[in-house]
Amino acid sequence: MKNLKLKSARAAKDLSQEDLAKICGVSRQTISAIEKGDYNPTINLCIAICKALDKTLDELFWEE
Amino acid sequence: MLAITRMGSVAIGILVGLVLAVILLKAANQNHKMKTEYDERQKIIRGKAYQIAWYVMVIYEVLMMVLHIGEISLPVSEYVLHFGGVLVSAIVLAVYCIWKDVYWGLNSNRRRYSIIFLATGLLNAIPVYFSAKEGTLFANGETGPQLVNLMVLIMLVVLGITLIAKDAADRNAGREG
Repeated sequence: MKNLKLKSARAAKDLSQEDLAKICGVSRQTISAIEKGDYNPTINLCIAICKALDKTLDELFWEE
Repeated sequence: MLAITRMGSVAIGILVGLVLAVILLKAANQNHKMKTEYDERQKIIRGKAYQIAWYVMVIYEVLMMVLHIGEISLPVSEYVLHFGGVLVSAIVLAVYCIWKDVYWGLNSNRRRYSIIFLATGLLNAIPVYFSAKEGTLFANGETGPQLVNLMVLIMLVVLGITLIAKDAADRNAGREG
């Protein structure tokens, strides 16, 4: 399932996938795979992404 | 004085080539670290790639064993057959990694890698060219040691084509896909 919340939070911060990837220490393709729902990140990476986007885990990764 | 036979020099050549390739490729990393760094997703997919490559090598070696038991001889030296197995599994590993976006590490410098690829291709193409010109690549149903260079050249071409095809596929799908 696509993670549209992550995509919109990134866009709101005016960050490209490349920018977010650099902040989190991963490749651009990994951020792309998370947004497309092709990869489930570990909790450590989820936290790194949340910190980079000033969001909580619930806001970005909790499915309703 | 120690006399080095023709095949002895081939063996030394292969070893020196392998050591040089490892040193050069590692030195090509952006932060000059010997170890290429990968993120968590890349490590998982690369693990799968190594698994597939390992199975390919096992199947290849079993096939070679069957040929040997069946006393079916191929017009190439035995070391070339084993080198073929190494190259085939290396190609499988690299192509899988390229297609799954895990070929380049986080600290890989693609430009430096490309230069090394081209230089390696050139170094292997020169002996193949002269061997083909002199007609010693395949002569009297036997193969010359330059066949190893030809095999490395084929591997580089396959990797080059895969990298270009993957880049084109990514561009069509849109970079931020």
